[in-house]
Amino acid sequence: MKCKLFFFVIIQLFFVAARAQEKVNTKFGDVNEKSFATKIYSIDSSANAVVITDFGSTKIEGNSKGWFSLIFKHYKRVHILNKNGYDAANVSIPLYVSGLDEVKLSNLKAVTYNLENGKVVETKLDQKLNVFKEQIDKNWAIVKFTFPNVKEGAIVEFEYTTISDFINHVEPWEFQGDYPVLWSEYNFSLPDFLGYVFFTQGYKKYHIKDRKTKTESFRLINSNGTSASDFLSFSVGVADNRWVIKDIPVLKEENFITTLNNHTNKLEFQLSELRDPLTPRVFMASWPKAVEDLMNAEFFGQQLTKDNGWLKEVLNPLLKSETNKLERLKKIYAFVRDNFTCVSHSGIYLNQSIKNVLKTKKGTVSEINLLLCAMLRYEEFQADPVLLSTRSHGVAYADYPIMSKYNYVIVKTTIDGTSYFLDATEPRLGFGYLPLRCYNGHARAINASADSMELESKMINEQKFTSLFVINDNKGSIGGRMQQTPGYYASLDLRNRIKENGVEKLQKDIQKAFGSAVVISNFIIDSLDNYESKLGITYDFDFPPNSEDIIYLNPMFGEGYRDNPFKSAQRLNPVEMPYAFDEVISVQIEVPQGYEVDELPQSLVVKLNEEGDGVFEYRISQSGTNISFRSRIKISHTFFLPEEYDMLREFFGHVVKKQSEHIVFKKKK
Amino acid sequence: MKLKVVIGLAFFLFSISSALSADGEYAVAKIKPGLLPDAHVVKRMAETRYEVISFSKTRLYNKYAITIMNENGDRFARMYEFYDGLRSVKSIEGKLYDANGKMIKALKSKDIEDRSNVSEISLMEDSRIKTHNFYYKVYPYTVEYETVVEFNNTYMFYPWLPQPEENYAVEKSSMTVSCPSWFTFQYKMFNYNGAPIETEVKGEKKYTWQVSDMPSITKEFANPDWQFLTTCVYFKPDKFEIGGYKGSMSSWNELGLFQLQLNKGRDKLPDAVKQQVHHLTDGVSDAKEKIRVLYEYLQKNTRYISIQLGIGGYQPFDAAYVAKNAYGDCKALSNYMYALLKEANINSCYVEIKAGDGEQFFMPDFSTDQFNHIILCVPLATDSIWLECTSQTLPAGYLAGFTSNRYALLVNETGGNLVRTPKYGVKENTQIRNIKAILDKEGTMQITASTTFSGLQQDDYHSLINNLSKDKVKESLQEQFDFQTYDILQFDYREVKSTLPVIRERLEISVSNYATITGKRLFITPNIMTRANQKIAIEKERKYDIVLGLEYADTDSIEIELPGGYAPEAIPQDMTISSKFGSYRSSVKLLGNKLLCYRHYEQYSGRFPARDYAELAKFYETIYNADRSRVVLVKSETTPK
Repeated sequence: MKCKLFFFVIIQLFFVAARAQEKVNTKFGDVNEKSFATKIYSIDSSANAVVITDFGSTKIEGNSKGWFSLIFKHYKRVHILNKNGYDAANVSIPLYVSGLDEVKLSNLKAVTYNLENGKVVETKLDQKLNVFKEQIDKNWAIVKFTFPNVKEGAIVEFEYTTISDFINHVEPWEFQGDYPVLWSEYNFSLPDFLGYVFFTQGYKKYHIKDRKTKTESFRLINSNGTSASDFLSFSVGVADNRWVIKDIPVLKEENFITTLNNHTNKLEFQLSELRDPLTPRVFMASWPKAVEDLMNAEFFGQQLTKDNGWLKEVLNPLLKSETNKLERLKKIYAFVRDNFTCVSHSGIYLNQSIKNVLKTKKGTVSEINLLLCAMLRYEEFQADPVLLSTRSHGVAYADYPIMSKYNYVIVKTTIDGTSYFLDATEPRLGFGYLPLRCYNGHARAINASADSMELESKMINEQKFTSLFVINDNKGSIGGRMQQTPGYYASLDLRNRIKENGVEKLQKDIQKAFGSAVVISNFIIDSLDNYESKLGITYDFDFPPNSEDIIYLNPMFGEGYRDNPFKSAQRLNPVEMPYAFDEVISVQIEVPQGYEVDELPQSLVVKLNEEGDGVFEYRISQSGTNISFRSRIKISHTFFLPEEYDMLREFFGHVVKKQSEHIVFKKKK
Repeated sequence: MKLKVVIGLAFFLFSISSALSADGEYAVAKIKPGLLPDAHVVKRMAETRYEVISFSKTRLYNKYAITIMNENGDRFARMYEFYDGLRSVKSIEGKLYDANGKMIKALKSKDIEDRSNVSEISLMEDSRIKTHNFYYKVYPYTVEYETVVEFNNTYMFYPWLPQPEENYAVEKSSMTVSCPSWFTFQYKMFNYNGAPIETEVKGEKKYTWQVSDMPSITKEFANPDWQFLTTCVYFKPDKFEIGGYKGSMSSWNELGLFQLQLNKGRDKLPDAVKQQVHHLTDGVSDAKEKIRVLYEYLQKNTRYISIQLGIGGYQPFDAAYVAKNAYGDCKALSNYMYALLKEANINSCYVEIKAGDGEQFFMPDFSTDQFNHIILCVPLATDSIWLECTSQTLPAGYLAGFTSNRYALLVNETGGNLVRTPKYGVKENTQIRNIKAILDKEGTMQITASTTFSGLQQDDYHSLINNLSKDKVKESLQEQFDFQTYDILQFDYREVKSTLPVIRERLEISVSNYATITGKRLFITPNIMTRANQKIAIEKERKYDIVLGLEYADTDSIEIELPGGYAPEAIPQDMTISSKFGSYRSSVKLLGNKLLCYRHYEQYSGRFPARDYAELAKFYETIYNADRSRVVLVKSETTPK
């Protein structure tokens, strides 16, 4: 419990493995009868397909535009073991396009091998007829094909090269995928004039991690130029980096995981600097430098430092005579939240000016929140954008300013010593609240001091309180009143559902749960439009008269857990919960007229562990004709190691068991 | 004096009209109050015109204005037009108005997004989409769009559906078909009073349908298909052309002839495959056995890959293509199977069908392409064998919930013939379960359950065991049951493949705290695994008929061995219900320390009048409660030695 796992490790480049000489066969077409011999692979006896080899290499070459290109070669061989592995025969190669520049695909080869009557039969992909290019949108195209003549037991093999002029974007290498991999290897030949930082993630260790140096010459031609000086040739040192992982299992999908992406074995790259003989330039020095760059960038910080006088046309009529500073702040927030449509909740750079956002009424999360920030600054509030990575985007690394690790922008504002985080992209989100997706660790303010901060899921405490009074009515049955305050995020969820389906739907659902014999009345929802508050749900219920000799009554009244949320018997990944929570139900019951208590459940207290990460209390007592009951589950941690899984499962086992118990009333004789 | 009055009146009238003209025609104030309840959007106007220029050129003009009342209506604010090899988008214009009907903005063509629209099931399609949205959020607001789409065929003749969804009111909408006098077509109307207005000027015919003031509709549980709740008109050309082919929709036979034309000459197999067919079937005399052998050959040697380009959306890739690549879509694989059977001297029919679970809207008296899938039928002397050629695992002759019990167009050498596919009813869709369980003193129960699933009730299990590895099946079982905390100890499935497939399941499960044991009592729900989940809200008013589709029967026999020393306090009463919706029987008995429970449920299909709704709600609720009723036992005063 005390230590968190750190998923990111910076690779030390001086490391040389002992097994560096080991090579894998990547010769295309080297398939014979023996290649089919293995029917069940020991790495995963239930695998539908196994990747025999996945081999990628990237090197940098001078190009005819006076700059450099990334030459990426990919070779892959897969053994398809049964029908359920046929999807492994479908291949997609995404190609980035930006204006006239696009990543080019060449030398595509793909062959299927089947073993028929003891002989290897080859079927080549028909490149004219059966390779398709789908233009997804203006930035992405996908080249797609499927292998021909795939049967159970087939081996498929492809290779291709892509040439990209976007040297600041090196595709990550994923060692782990949908099928187990026997050998996954990536090579990156890196000339001394370019600096990249490498990030590695995952639990599986490298089999080989190696670096060799050599000298190579580079030639650049600028074919657009007219003079001979547009030709440049030089020799520099090149480092051949090599990473190999063997026997990589498939990643397992489990509940209570922030994103599986955080656990995949992969390598990522970020261009950090240009060195001699190029004009030296550092892209990724330190947070203060990165933040400064961002503050000066036209597509980010400049939007805030401009005069932005045009904002007054909106702000003046909006704020009119409001003088209270906090109220002014809230009004601006609500205005942006209620009048703009967020078209993408991912991305930190702006595609349009915030002036245009105001005009078009739509924008990405960064565009809308920067507009909010600009408005606040225009009204002389202290406000800064804050970068973060959402939960589905994965963990962001605090020590290095890798911009691709961030995908979200919020606003931090401080007024009279109190700070608020704001996100205006979520309808009905209250002032000062952030969506759950934002609580994902490191966040960084884009201001002069580049403040670092942590937004962690355990900072959220979802508190739910339910109170019931049950008394004898004058018709010979029992009835009462239910009052419930769900947690804030549960309230937000309910608000959204009510907005979509109406209050009546909620009322009908409650009626449905109680059954038609119970009368529900005086249904009230409180604070529906007060987005900063939790909802209040109140209603009266009246049970039909009962003439049974014995009444069994569960004092949870349908609240509480019916199933253990941790169903799976085993756990591979840590358990990551979206928030801490505290759920209390308090019930006062009058013993039904003509009955007496025959049996009460026993009180119980269960602790999650000694450190008090969680507690379950179940207390019940009788005094005269009154029964007091209270159940509480409080979980104050949100991260549990796989070793703690059994304990967690057992804890909720106690909860479910206890909450299913009944009070027994017997008719008085 | 008189003059003055007239002037005064004129002035008065003028002032009214000027007050109105300050508001634009789409001002929200102009919506009739009767249209507002429950409406998330109000269609202010729509004029659709389908213009036939020639058999290979038609245009669809569409102008409409929709007022978005609140954010639930936002999705209707998006304009989209699909295009592909058979149609192209000629023009798009759009305008945005505020609540007063004042124009705020006009669409700029650079704001139109152009995206791929390849569906998830396909490797490739030529389908693309042009789409636009003003992203306005000040409610209410109005968007107005005007689009022109051109078709290079007369096959695609879209229906007119002025009110596409619930919470959607319509002020006025019209549909016009204009065509040269040589072009003839038919139409079928739903909930339309009267006939279209017909005119003919200089050899050009015009037919116009119009509606106004349609209040929004609210759907109900199990309501009839949408087409029966609102107004719509379907069209079909008597003669049409597409992709260089000519055809007719005047009858199902004609539509079948058209498909025959598309398929013509596409059944030629390579010699190697022909030899395979003879090698596999020449020694087999029984026709059904031949079909089974060839169907399994198809399943073993091909897989489903969908590629849809232009006319290829209707025309199968030929048999040689499938033989070479070992893949194809429903058309190509059915056509390939047709060729395999033909080589074995077995005649079969290409079948057009509207696939999807549950029964769906179909117009048997209106011979148009209402289909989205192809299967194959082999007519035999006594019965027919149906083949789903895209499945790698289904037994020959079984159609599953995807295509069973519905109309289908059978294409044979002489044309088309509308038939029905087999229905699986209450006798076929069964689940028979026997449970033996032992409960210990702590409330933990060891369950051994043997279950036989048949017909549609085995469909999910068929997918489970055929598509997932054993590990994944176990994971799935560990998630699916309604127990508090449990572990799957053992599981086993046996599949009996036949025209009515059966799957036998054997499970061993250990459930913690199945029974609640307090100081002196033991609470246990004797119905362990088969509990009805259907509960419907009580509605004050039910408007539409109730349509219930799936028929099935479940039988559970349960024996639970209890820990000793308990005596019964409460045991649920036996229950027998029989109604038009189904029947239910349950009984619980305590014999010594054994609890014996029996449950039988049958669900029927049918269409029932709206007034039956309360009875249906009661039926569901009674069963829901009965399935969860508990046995309560108390510790005997004297514990037996």
